Amino acid sequence: MSIVEFRNVTKAFGNVTVLKEVDLNIEAGEVVVLIGPSGSGKSTLLRCINALEEIDGGDLVVDGISVREGRSKVRLIRQEAGMVFQQFNLFPQMTALANIAFGPRRVRGVGKAEAIGQARELLAKVGLADRGHHYPSELSGGQQQRVAIARALAVKPKLMLFDEPTSALDPELRHEVLRVMQSLAEEGMTMIVVTHEIAFARQVGSRLIFMEGGKISVDGDPAELLDNPENPRLREFLQHVH
Amino acid sequence: MEFDWSVVVEAMPALLSGARLTVLIALAGLVGGLVVGVVAGFMRAYGNAILNAVAFTYVEVIRGTPIVVQVMFIYFALPLLADLRVNPMTAAVTAIVVNAGAYIAEIVRGSLLSVNKGLKEAGLALGLPVWKVLAYIVGPIAFRRMIPPLGNQFIVSLKDTSLFIVIGVGELTRQGQEIMAANFRAVEIWSAVAVLYLIMTSTLTLILRVTEKRMRIL
Repeated sequence: MSIVEFRNVTKAFGNVTVLKEVDLNIEAGEVVVLIGPSGSGKSTLLRCINALEEIDGGDLVVDGISVREGRSKVRLIRQEAGMVFQQFNLFPQMTALANIAFGPRRVRGVGKAEAIGQARELLAKVGLADRGHHYPSELSGGQQQRVAIARALAVKPKLMLFDEPTSALDPELRHEVLRVMQSLAEEGMTMIVVTHEIAFARQVGSRLIFMEGGKISVDGDPAELLDNPENPRLREFLQHVH
Repeated sequence: MEFDWSVVVEAMPALLSGARLTVLIALAGLVGGLVVGVVAGFMRAYGNAILNAVAFTYVEVIRGTPIVVQVMFIYFALPLLADLRVNPMTAAVTAIVVNAGAYIAEIVRGSLLSVNKGLKEAGLALGLPVWKVLAYIVGPIAFRRMIPPLGNQFIVSLKDTSLFIVIGVGELTRQGQEIMAANFRAVEIWSAVAVLYLIMTSTLTLILRVTEKRMRIL
């Protein structure tokens, strides 16, 4: 069974249809990179998976649970699908450690000492072992985003959603975030990544999806598609991104 | 004319007892107003259409009428309408609670809505129910932002207690008025009354500044 299954999913904001009858299956272990021009629906597609956006038509099943099953079921989906945002969205009143320990404590009901212990391990994993007591405002963008990745991982999700995780970062800070994402992929994490980082798609992605106009127009192996884009729109898009 | 200090000294016990009443009304009113305001503010910011409409109507009615009219209504009109006897003190506290509550509701709503929507999403994305997101993430951040406008409202409400002179509550202004009517020493009495109000409001300011300093305003 696929970990994410879009069945004829439609999503509209007012009278603008953002997703048009999308069908898509994602298997556990895949690293799916979503690219496409702005407004093509890639972020919306990602946000439908953890029900931050409500779908209007069709069905979307994540880890065996439909997003239409109601609030408490949606919370279960969210616990299995960690999310990393473009703007980091760390909790500003909490230190890096407290940000990471927050999910396990308040969502999974883990004890404080255990949650802090786990948080330390995760912080070390993203290369910030010495930054635990810093507040988000005291960290650089790249550091904040790595803490945000650790925060999402702390709830022990089966799947990670990345919504343009490097778009708000300076070029020299991007690589530190991308490196963490790469090691996560190498550990076998299922990942769905909306990004403009073509090099990342080629190196780390196991599957590349190009969206335009609310539909998936190209879906295949990253290296093949990037080296030899047959779709004229994809070819044009890649010229602009590089 | 000469400023006669002995008039002030003589009036002081009565003025201080008035000031004590002023503090009492203001304190009770602000605690109550904070509770009412927080509830109404959450209703406005996160409630469904019905809760929102109820809170909106409350805020509009109270903000749209003078506090003197409100306290007169509670003290003189309510007994006729509902056969409810209220003593002046109850009427005064109720008026401050209801009045401050409406303004505080807007402060609470504004602070809640000023919190970046991304933080709420980040909380929800972890799998938290909405109430936990509000209690642990949005609420604490909003609270820090409420302190400066709340301070404003506290000071306004403290001074508004002087309007309860109209229903005969023996608060500070009323005491001053009574003494003045007896001895006609307007300069001494109103100076003393003004200074007592200043002492109360500056104490309030001091408490708020300390609170603000001890919290990281985000």
